[in-house]
Amino acid sequence: MEVKILSAKFDIDNAHQIEVAKSHGAYQTLEKLFSMAPEDVTNEVKDSGLRGRGGAGFPAGVKWGFLPKDLDKPTYLAVNSDESEPATFKDRYILVKDPHLLIEGIIICCYAIDCHDAYIYIRGEYTSQVKGLQRAIDEAYEAGYLGETVNGHDFRLDVTVHRGAGAYVCGEETALLESIEGKKGQPRSKPPFPAVVGLYDCPTIINNVQTIASLPFIIQEGADAYKAHGTEKSTGTHLFGISGHVEKPGMYELPLGLPLMEVLEKVAGGVWKGRQLKGVIPGGSSTPVLTAEEAKTVNLDYESMAEHKTMFGSGGIVVLDETVDMVKLVENLIYFYHHESCGQCTPCREGLGWMLKIVKKIIAGEGTMADIDLLVELCDNIEMKTVCVLSAACTMPVRSYLNKFRDEFEAYVTDAAS
Amino acid sequence: MAEMVKLFVNGQEVEVESGKNLIDALKVVGIEIPHFCYHPALGADGNCRMCLVGIEDGRPPLVPACKTPAQEGMKVQLDAEHIKKIQRDVLEFELINHPVDCPVCDQAGECALQDYYMSYSLDDSRMRVEQVTKGKKIDFGSGVVHDQERCVLCGRCVRFTRQITHTGELGIVNRTDAARVSIFPGKPLNNRYALNIVDICPVGAMTSSDFRFKQRVWFLQKDPGICHGCSKGCSIYIDHHREKYKDDVIYRFRARTNLKVNGYFICDFGRLSYAAENENRQTTATADGSAIGFDEAIELVRERLDRARKPLMLVSPDLSLEQMWAVKRIATLYGADLSGYSDSYVIDGDGDDYLINDDKAANRKGLELLDIDSSKEQFISTLQYTDLLVNFNNDLFYSGVDEELKAQLDKTQSIAVCSHQLPVFESATIALPTASYSEYGGTIVNEDYVLQRFDKALFKNEDPRDVLEITRLLGGAIIDAPHAWPGIRQSVADLADIDPETIPAEGLNLQNSEDTNVGA
Repeated sequence: MEVKILSAKFDIDNAHQIEVAKSHGAYQTLEKLFSMAPEDVTNEVKDSGLRGRGGAGFPAGVKWGFLPKDLDKPTYLAVNSDESEPATFKDRYILVKDPHLLIEGIIICCYAIDCHDAYIYIRGEYTSQVKGLQRAIDEAYEAGYLGETVNGHDFRLDVTVHRGAGAYVCGEETALLESIEGKKGQPRSKPPFPAVVGLYDCPTIINNVQTIASLPFIIQEGADAYKAHGTEKSTGTHLFGISGHVEKPGMYELPLGLPLMEVLEKVAGGVWKGRQLKGVIPGGSSTPVLTAEEAKTVNLDYESMAEHKTMFGSGGIVVLDETVDMVKLVENLIYFYHHESCGQCTPCREGLGWMLKIVKKIIAGEGTMADIDLLVELCDNIEMKTVCVLSAACTMPVRSYLNKFRDEFEAYVTDAAS
Repeated sequence: MAEMVKLFVNGQEVEVESGKNLIDALKVVGIEIPHFCYHPALGADGNCRMCLVGIEDGRPPLVPACKTPAQEGMKVQLDAEHIKKIQRDVLEFELINHPVDCPVCDQAGECALQDYYMSYSLDDSRMRVEQVTKGKKIDFGSGVVHDQERCVLCGRCVRFTRQITHTGELGIVNRTDAARVSIFPGKPLNNRYALNIVDICPVGAMTSSDFRFKQRVWFLQKDPGICHGCSKGCSIYIDHHREKYKDDVIYRFRARTNLKVNGYFICDFGRLSYAAENENRQTTATADGSAIGFDEAIELVRERLDRARKPLMLVSPDLSLEQMWAVKRIATLYGADLSGYSDSYVIDGDGDDYLINDDKAANRKGLELLDIDSSKEQFISTLQYTDLLVNFNNDLFYSGVDEELKAQLDKTQSIAVCSHQLPVFESATIALPTASYSEYGGTIVNEDYVLQRFDKALFKNEDPRDVLEITRLLGGAIIDAPHAWPGIRQSVADLADIDPETIPAEGLNLQNSEDTNVGA
């Protein structure tokens, strides 16, 4: 089932070193790239159907097309490597195993959007990873793939690594820009969108690491070769980080569109210890949970996930077996998002803390049925009333647990009463 | 004239200024959109979420009004159930961790949180878990006291120190519901406008150490006035109250929005200058150090003036145009010389490029317009040979006692018409108490030639006579302030067309027909 496009060099020893990477094809797209017109590169990416791999799944080429033309300002690329969504670790693999794939992708993107200064915003907790990434960038400079004349062509490109300070919210693209600018990492109100007013008020494209790392294959092999994988609207491959209660957790590159259960069984070895499946978090902790029943019919693509009223998300699949206490899982979830709320706008700042205390009260055996209803209502009262979607990343999954596993919440209330 | 657009609010058509944000645009036509973080001087931030409104057929359908410009044909939903619910919900979120200590909070009565709760919610509390606790009565410096628990984190104060004073003393530290406004350790508020923070805080999180616990605001009578602290002439509110069995006293000055003069703010010096209106006042007439009746004192002054060979009248540069005119007229009547000498009111280098001026005189332009000689030469030379100086409240020692001048004054027989007991009046043989600027009405002209009118705000138990009234008692023909105008109009070309009754609230620029507005 696995298709190795992004992960082609993951199993090669020392592929993070430029010489090894080059001997396995790194930077070989550049000759072709510079023979193409920038708009043809964008069109190829549009044609490939590549969707943003940060979680929202917005078509990458279309996003590039939002950049204003003939503006008297520089354009920036910010590569979002603030991978902080719980259960998500796909970008880390690329950074560690094949950083030159990312750099090659950055060159492609920058050539397409006429950008000469790219930033890689990496989460503060990736302490060893940032060193490896910087080493790879230094190697690329030395080899002439970055700098004044990229690969000998009249094209300057500088890449700067910017470390975050450990805030989940900085993965939100405008908070990320604020953070690069040296300000407190708080999301901006949109509009204006970053493609028009972004980093230092200049047009800016923000793409996820995996999105950028998908570009060399698309340019080298063409959009059709990429579209050969996946479904019509969810093209290509994706790095799936499968964790939780499975026999073989790990990172697997798979074409989009495969049935979830088939992947769990055949790739991840099925639910561990012979236990029953209770639910699946399909794409990072912020995606609404699927029950074991729903998991049977869902495919690993954007459309199928939407049909199941959840989201494809980051490809971080968490398998939950029958022993999982969903109430405590929700407590853990809210704890995380409450802790990571930037505190800027009222509903998220005040509401998530309130929700956390209510869940704790329920777990302590002091809750009432009204508290469960209040939790559901608070999800509605907070969601989409805020500057960014961090609060929704909490309320959407929490609502799904409350709806699908309400009996577990009620059990805490009734057990305490009896 | 700004371009107007027609849009619909709750289905009703209104015509508003194009491009203005919905909060400001609709306010003009009397429609309130509740908000905490937006302030016209500080711009839109969008963090409080109280101003979310629906846009029918809009994308997105829910927008913060503070960030949404008025556009032709827009269909704004304000009274739709889902919008009213958002307002209730946001208020609930603001209130769950709020101490609701209104009975001991200075802001009660003028608190956005309190007012909005009454207008938009009235829901019972559903908060049954422990509240977040934060710091109380934190001294931020410059007389600002902060209560982190009452704070709604709108960030107006932070933006004020960044955008207006450019001093940046405040910031919001921490995330989530631990976020709070703070100063840097050991770096308190240190700017001359800091107390505006108390004004712009929509809730009781920022209080003034000067005003704290002095008076409930609903007892205060809030009259418009003009600050006389310097030649800027900032628009203010004079908040005063007469407690039972006591006298009418001022509790505070606050900034009154005037885009033609001071924008939305005033300086701390001007704000705190209210205290001088209450304190150290000359309340009784004295002759040779002993209290005498006011009428008796007036008679004495008349006698002295009649007897004087070459009297000199000195006017304060703070007097109103009408008062100056009245003094000018009786100076002619008594054959007196007239001076507006007041160099001591100018403190070189004290001003800034914002609201504070070097010149602490409120109506120096008035002296110029009425052609009253303010030169030192004229004053000193006239003082040499005068046998009677009548000083109409001019503090010649404003920036400190001038020993040389003091020696000269000590040698001169003088009469003080004074509102305050000041060293400069000590050498006067007769002192007549007079009203200060909160106790009379008139017009003044600021340094930018903006003519402003103000009315009498305070009515004291023993209402002091203002300078104009005293000139009348001394035989002047001017009965009251309006009565001064025919003469003023006739003799001052720049004021020939002025009708004081029709001066707009924000004043009238005598030099530019086009309005010149200050930024903030």
